[in-house]
Amino acid sequence: MFAYIVRRVLATIPVMAIVALFVFSLLYIAPGDPAAVIAGDQATPDDVERIRASLGLDRPYLVRFGAWVWDILRGDLGVSIFTNLPVSTMIQQRIEPTLSLMIVTLILAVSIAVPMGVVAAWRQGTWIDRAVMGFAVLGFSVPVFVVGYVLAYFFALEWDLLPVQGYTPFARGFWPWLENLILPSIALGSVYIALIARITRATMLEVLQQDYIRTARAKGLNQSGILFLHALKNAAVPIITVIGIGIALLIGGAVVTESVFAIPGLGRLTVDAILRRDYPVIQGVVLLFSFVYVLVNLAIDLAYTLFDPRIRY
Amino acid sequence: MSTTTLPPGVNAAVPMQDIMPPVRARGGLFGFIRRNPTIAIGGLLVFLMVFIAVFAPFLTSKDPTALAPALRTREPSAQFWFGSDMLGRDIYSRVLYGARVSLTVGFAVAICASAIGLFIGLISGFIRVADSIIMRIMDGMMSIPSILLAIALMALTRGSVGNVVLAITIAEIPRVSRLVRGVVLSLREQPYVDAAVASGTRTPMIIIRHILPNTLAPLTVQATYICASAMITEAILSFIGAGTPPIIPSWGNIMAEGRALWQVKPYIVFFPALFLSITVLAVNLLGDGLRDALDPRMAKRL
Amino acid sequence: MALLEVDALQTHFRTPDGINRAVDGVSFHVNAGETLAIVGESGCGKSVTAMSILRLIPEPPGKIAGAIRFNGKNLLEASDKEMRAIRGNEISMIFQEPMTSLNPVLTVGRQIGETLRLHQGMSAQAAEDRAVEMLNLVGIPEAKRRVKEYPHQLSGGMRQRVMIAIALACNPKLLIADEPTTALDVTIQAQILDLMRDLKHRVGAAIVLITHDLGVVAEVAERVVVMYAGRKVEEAPVHALFNKPRHPYTQGLLGSVPKLGSSLTGEATRLAEIPGLVPSLKQKIPGCVFASRCAHATDLCTAVAPALEEKAPGHVAACHYALREGALAA
Repeated sequence: MFAYIVRRVLATIPVMAIVALFVFSLLYIAPGDPAAVIAGDQATPDDVERIRASLGLDRPYLVRFGAWVWDILRGDLGVSIFTNLPVSTMIQQRIEPTLSLMIVTLILAVSIAVPMGVVAAWRQGTWIDRAVMGFAVLGFSVPVFVVGYVLAYFFALEWDLLPVQGYTPFARGFWPWLENLILPSIALGSVYIALIARITRATMLEVLQQDYIRTARAKGLNQSGILFLHALKNAAVPIITVIGIGIALLIGGAVVTESVFAIPGLGRLTVDAILRRDYPVIQGVVLLFSFVYVLVNLAIDLAYTLFDPRIRY
Repeated sequence: MSTTTLPPGVNAAVPMQDIMPPVRARGGLFGFIRRNPTIAIGGLLVFLMVFIAVFAPFLTSKDPTALAPALRTREPSAQFWFGSDMLGRDIYSRVLYGARVSLTVGFAVAICASAIGLFIGLISGFIRVADSIIMRIMDGMMSIPSILLAIALMALTRGSVGNVVLAITIAEIPRVSRLVRGVVLSLREQPYVDAAVASGTRTPMIIIRHILPNTLAPLTVQATYICASAMITEAILSFIGAGTPPIIPSWGNIMAEGRALWQVKPYIVFFPALFLSITVLAVNLLGDGLRDALDPRMAKRL
Repeated sequence: MALLEVDALQTHFRTPDGINRAVDGVSFHVNAGETLAIVGESGCGKSVTAMSILRLIPEPPGKIAGAIRFNGKNLLEASDKEMRAIRGNEISMIFQEPMTSLNPVLTVGRQIGETLRLHQGMSAQAAEDRAVEMLNLVGIPEAKRRVKEYPHQLSGGMRQRVMIAIALACNPKLLIADEPTTALDVTIQAQILDLMRDLKHRVGAAIVLITHDLGVVAEVAERVVVMYAGRKVEEAPVHALFNKPRHPYTQGLLGSVPKLGSSLTGEATRLAEIPGLVPSLKQKIPGCVFASRCAHATDLCTAVAPALEEKAPGHVAACHYALREGALAA
């Protein structure tokens, strides 16, 4: 078990190395002078020269990469071209809203989607099932910012139930914090709910056909005991796997959701950085999100044993 | 049959009645629609959108890029069916022309990503040395959330429809490669492929005869989903200002332009959003239908 | 009054290409403490009959009609709640596949204790203690350790013993065993049968044993119902059935069982087989369901379905020619 954990953790290192190499190389894949690319169209030759120097373009590629990785390992993600602030500082300033948004969305989505999928599987072929599946297709099809605008229009503008935009730090109280996150979470969660509800339904359908479910029914268990104890525990591994994979959707969606709801998080930082071609910031954010994604999925891998005693490492 | 006709000593059993109404089988077009409603609805809507995109110039008399500063932000009316934006451009025309960008990006990405992914997947599935390297790279790429990857790529290049297609394609390739590789690896275990290898059939022949036909169904389904997600990604990229150049009317661009005014003029955002959602929905429905029809096993999985 | 009376049971399923009449008008009864075997080839409806008794058939696409009276109460009219109170408590069931019939993610003790907590309101601790007792009863060594294990840590025979422990935990009046030994090794089969016989005497439960294995029938059953294509074609006390089968199908079944030593006596007897296939249950069959495979079938057989008639005391068969002595002796 311990050996497995060590092996599994070590196995993520090459993945992270490739992510790092990829993110680092992005700048050099682009056609033309990377310094000029970063500097943008309105740059003076002076700007380009300054950027060239900061990138250390005179050194060999792998040496630059090594130096870059070494800096990252020490927590130094470089300096923003636009604000001249360290990227790590900028990320620190913006991380709370994004983290809050993602955690609230995660909790909301899982607690809605799993029961939805379970009920749809149980009532397969009925109008409930069709409604859930219909919702799932809609969730996949309506882009996050569209959901966001529709929700904000009705719940905030028309009915005045919730704040339209903005973010209140957690330090200012739970409810003010949550109030601002409800609509963004639903908007961001719509795809995620669709994804989880669908995999839950599909897995549950498979599990419900198993012989042990028949045994459970023959024992006289009631429907909820069968569904939520006997069946759901067996369906848990594929479901939590998809919950982990789907975090990529949350990360991508957060960038947009934060723009719609004017939440000053990492997503907004990314969008601003793109518009200013602030490449170190883009690299830093992409790298951070990717590492979080890899680590979350690693944690989920390691959690499999909690749900299925047959899995042995 | 009445008992009087029976020979002596023979007793007929009481016939059992059916306890449910008979099953009626439907054939023809109506039967097909009944059995595959998602393909029918999705296909019809996709066809409609393609029609709109192709015949946009005939469906509107207004130039989607014509400025009319005097006629800014008009509500939807007989003159401006979907209203006009803050530069006085007709949103109806812009939305119709916007279908061109979305569909082009969707189809182009689906085709490119499938083709390249198929190629990489085949190599990976057949050449063991390449496999471990390719799959490590794909693992790494898949660890970067695809929208983020597309954003990072777009940040480097000039906004153009071609670059949008390229950026989204790169982000989608790992998933297709994985899918194809999985199919190849499972097919290689099949006895008939073993037999073909044992009888000295050359690898390209095996690929053409045995592997490709079996890859086609899952790949088609995957391509539809890629098409749908590419259209959403294009809209997202345009919406945050990293996609199609603003002069080209795309649904994402129209929404991006309406963003500042959405609280007072929600229709600017509403109409492109509606068209985008319907189109993506149609493609997704088509994908679901194809999946159910082409691969029952996959349908069970998801 | 019989413990269980099944009267004109029909279980049909709706499928895309027609109604599958899996069970079509089957009647039988089981007395308290008795062992009744239901035999037939796979697909003859015997498992569906068993599932119908506990109403474990998914509805839709299935539908059950007729009457199933348990202690005089028609189970088909019982509410879901009443059914749940009967399942696993008064009537319990053992299934064919011990490898897959236990939930892989719950401990054995929990799966045994669950019925006790549910039907007898036991505390978790009392249920676990009783689970240990049950494991001892079904002959699983080191029961204290085993209750904490998961099914994948047990062998097939052990798992079937656990299934029996679950089924008998609440001292049911009726135990339905659907091919309980089919999936097991021959030596384990004998052990499980012995165990069932032994426990039957201790608990006093009646057993409905569903099987295609006539050897098992001869060993444990008192009466036998023979099913074919969703109907009952013959019913008799076990000795009468083996000594003097009245239905050509039963004859065929008995003929396809190898007799011990037959190959040693020098007789070049081929194992008899019944030619042809079971007819599709999606078609209505006007005459005798076995006519298409029967060597003795006449026009009468294909036109008129024979009624079940008592040929000897307690021995009924549905065959137009079963009456005539010698007609089937050929």
